[in-house]
Amino acid sequence: MLLRNLFAGAILLLLSFNSYGQYNTLHIPDTLSGTTFNLNIRDTFVQFRPGNQTITAGINGAFWGPTLFLNKGDSVYMNVHNFHNDTTTLHWHGMHLPAVMDGGPHQTIPPGTIWQPYWKVTNNAATFWYHPHLHMKTEEQLAAGLGGFIIIRDAVEAALPLPRTYGVDDLPLVLTSRSFDASNAFIHVSPYGDYMLVNGTMNPQVSLPKQYVRLRILNAELERGYNLGFSDNRTFYVIGNDGGLLDAPVPVTRVKLLVGERVEILVNLGSDAIGSGVDLEAFNAGMPFGFPGSEPSTTGAFGSLLNNINFPILHINVAAATAGAITALPAVLVTNTYLTAADATVTRTLNVTDGTPGGPGGPGTPFYFDHTPFALATINKTVDLNTVEMWSVTNNNVFGHSFHIHDIQFKILSRSSGPVNSYESGWKDTYYLGVNETVTFVAKFSDYADDIHPFMYHCHMAPHEDGGLMGQFVVKDATGVATTKQPGDFTIYPNPANNRVYVLLADPAMQVYYITITNAVGRTMYMLPRPQLAGGIDVSNFAPGVYLMQLTDEQTKKTIVKRFVKE
Amino acid sequence: MKGRFYKGAILLLLAAPVITLLGFDKISNKMISDFSLRNTDSRYVSLKDYPDAKGFIIVFTCNHCPFAKLYPPRLNDLNQKYKPLGVPLLAISSTDTIVYEEDTYPMMVAKAKKEHFNFPYLFDEMQAVAKNFQAQKTPHAFVIWKENGRWEVKYSGAIDDNGAEPDKVKNRYAANAVDALLGGKEVPIKETKSIGCQINFRPLPASPKER
Repeated sequence: MLLRNLFAGAILLLLSFNSYGQYNTLHIPDTLSGTTFNLNIRDTFVQFRPGNQTITAGINGAFWGPTLFLNKGDSVYMNVHNFHNDTTTLHWHGMHLPAVMDGGPHQTIPPGTIWQPYWKVTNNAATFWYHPHLHMKTEEQLAAGLGGFIIIRDAVEAALPLPRTYGVDDLPLVLTSRSFDASNAFIHVSPYGDYMLVNGTMNPQVSLPKQYVRLRILNAELERGYNLGFSDNRTFYVIGNDGGLLDAPVPVTRVKLLVGERVEILVNLGSDAIGSGVDLEAFNAGMPFGFPGSEPSTTGAFGSLLNNINFPILHINVAAATAGAITALPAVLVTNTYLTAADATVTRTLNVTDGTPGGPGGPGTPFYFDHTPFALATINKTVDLNTVEMWSVTNNNVFGHSFHIHDIQFKILSRSSGPVNSYESGWKDTYYLGVNETVTFVAKFSDYADDIHPFMYHCHMAPHEDGGLMGQFVVKDATGVATTKQPGDFTIYPNPANNRVYVLLADPAMQVYYITITNAVGRTMYMLPRPQLAGGIDVSNFAPGVYLMQLTDEQTKKTIVKRFVKE
Repeated sequence: MKGRFYKGAILLLLAAPVITLLGFDKISNKMISDFSLRNTDSRYVSLKDYPDAKGFIIVFTCNHCPFAKLYPPRLNDLNQKYKPLGVPLLAISSTDTIVYEEDTYPMMVAKAKKEHFNFPYLFDEMQAVAKNFQAQKTPHAFVIWKENGRWEVKYSGAIDDNGAEPDKVKNRYAANAVDALLGGKEVPIKETKSIGCQINFRPLPASPKER
C-alpha cells in the first residue's frame, strides 16, 4: 500500500508540476452593491479540470460568491435564501453588528428558508468576507465553495490616492486549495488540498497595469497558512489589516497570512517591463512544524502536494498602465486611535488545551480552550457592554492556530515570541497563534448587547473549530431593565392574506426580537431577526395554505405562535 | 480511514486505470424489489407493467439540481435507443420536497412537458425507492437486469463522464452497461461514483416499536 501510494504520488507530483505551465485567466468575482443584497445558497458545479465538472456549492451559483460592496453608514439588508440540501449559516466575518444578525452557529438557516438579517455598517473601509459557520459543518460547507468578499468603502479611504478600480488595479484574491478524485469530485483526505485555487481558478494568471496595484488577499483555506511574497523577493507594502487601513504603508518582503486573515497590499509594477511577469508566491518551504502546511508528508491525514514547499499562487503579466494610474506610494494613510493596555478594565486568559498529535493512523484528539469543548448551550464568557478588555491567548501546545473573535476589531499588544509584526499593527479580528506563544490583544465591546444570541471566539482552521476549539460570549447591558414580564401579544392581519401580512402589537412599545414563519408541512419560510414590520411581510410567493408565525418578544424573549391563512 | 481508501483508489486510477476497475465491484448481485410510483400523467408505473423488458435504465434525478438539468436530452436519447431493445428508461425523483418546492409533483409535471420527456418521470414521495436502490445523487443511474425472474443491479453510478460537455464524453457508463448485457457480456464498469446533488433522506418518524 505504502509503495503504491509513493509511486502514484510521484506521478501526481509530475502531473502537478506540468500543469503549472498552462495558466487560466483569474476569475474576478461578480459584484453586488446597494443596500439590499439577495444571496442564494445553491448547489452548483465548476469546470476545474478537463473532463467532468466538480460539484460544489456557491452563493448565487458561483463557487466563490459575489463581492458585496457596502458603504459605511448605510443600513444593509440581506435576503439569504438557502436552496442547499443542508442547514447552514452565513457569518459576516469581521463586521460589528448585533449578535442575532451575526450568522454564527446559532443563526441557522434551514433548507428552503429565507433569513433576513440587517445592520448599520459601522466598520471602516476594509476587506471582510462572509462564509458558513454551522458548528461541525463549517469545514464541509466552506470546502464546497460557500463564501465571498465584503468590501467596505468610506469617505476617508475614498479621499486617499489608492488604487480602487475593482478587477483592474484593485483585486480580491481568495486563497484556497482542494484535492480531486478520478471523477474530478472534491475529496477531503486532509485539511490541505493538493491544488491551489485563487478565486476558484487553478493555475491563475492575470494582467495587471504597470503601476501600483492593490491586492486584497484573504486566506479562506480550511487549514493552510501562507507565507506570502513575490518570486523576485521585491518589497511590497501592507496598507490594511482585517479591520481597516494602517496609519502608513508598511514595507515588507513576506507576510504570514493564516486562515481567516485578510491583508491589503500595494505592489509597484511601475518598474516592470510591459510583457514581463512576476509571481505572487507561497514561501512555505522550511516553515517550522506548527505552521499549518509545514507538514512534510504529501499523503495521509495531513498530507498535501503543497505541503512544506514554495509554490506559485498567481502569475502576474505586466501590461500597459491605465489612465489615472497610481504611480506613487502614499506616505500616510489614516489616523487610527488604538486602544492600549491602560484602557482595559477587564483582563482574561485563554489556553489552548488537549489535542494530541496526529499519529500515522490519522488526526489526533481535538483541541479545546481551557479543557472545555465547544457546546452550543454553554456561554463561556459574559462581557459587559462598552467595556474595554484585554485577552491573552496562550498556545503551549503541539500546533499553531488562527485565533478569531466575532463582533470586534482588536489591537494586538504583544507576542511572547518577539515583537508584534509590523504588518499586523492595525485593527485585527484574526491572528496567527504559534506554538509556545501567548498573544495579547485589547478591544472594546460596544453597541450591541444581547442576552440570548452569543458571539464566537475560535480557531479559524475549520477542522479545529468543528472539533471544538471554540467558545462563546454574550455582551450584556447591565443597565438594561426589563419593563414587562408578560410576552407581548399580537394579531396578524389581513387574515386570510394575499400579498402581505401585517403584525399588530398589543403594546405599541413592544419590540420584536424574532419572527419565524413555517408552513403546514414544517418548511421554514422566513427567519426574521428584529424585523421591521411597518411595511408588512411579503407572502406573495407563498403557496395557498395555513402558516404559523412564531413571534419572540425582545424583552421577555418569550414566544407566541399564531396561525394565518394565505389565499 | 475512509479518506485513505479514496486517496489510494484515486492515485491508482491515475497510475493504472485498469487496476482500479477491480476496486469498484460491490454493487453486483444486489436485488431490487418492484415498486409502484406515480408518473407525471398521474398513472402509477411498476416494473411488472413491462412484461417484455429485459432490463431497465433507472435514473434518479430531480428538477432543481443544476447537474441533473444537464441530462434530459441524453435521457431522451437513451430511452429512444434502448426501449425498442427491451430496456426502457424510468426517471425517478426522490428528493426532499419539503426542502425543494421545485421538485414537487406539479413542478415535475411541468418539467416533463417542457423537456418533452419520452420516458416516465416518477414521483418517489416517500423516498422509499431511492432507499431501496441506495441512490446517492441526482442524477444517479442504475442498470437493472432480469435474472431468474428477479431484478439485479448490473450498473450503478454516473450516466457518463462529462455532465456539461456532452460532446466531450469519453465513457457512456450506463449505455455501455446496457450494450454489454444485450450482447450477453460482462458489464465492463459496474460501478462509478454518481455525481450531482446529494439526495437527502428525511428522517423517518420513530416506529411504534421504538417507542
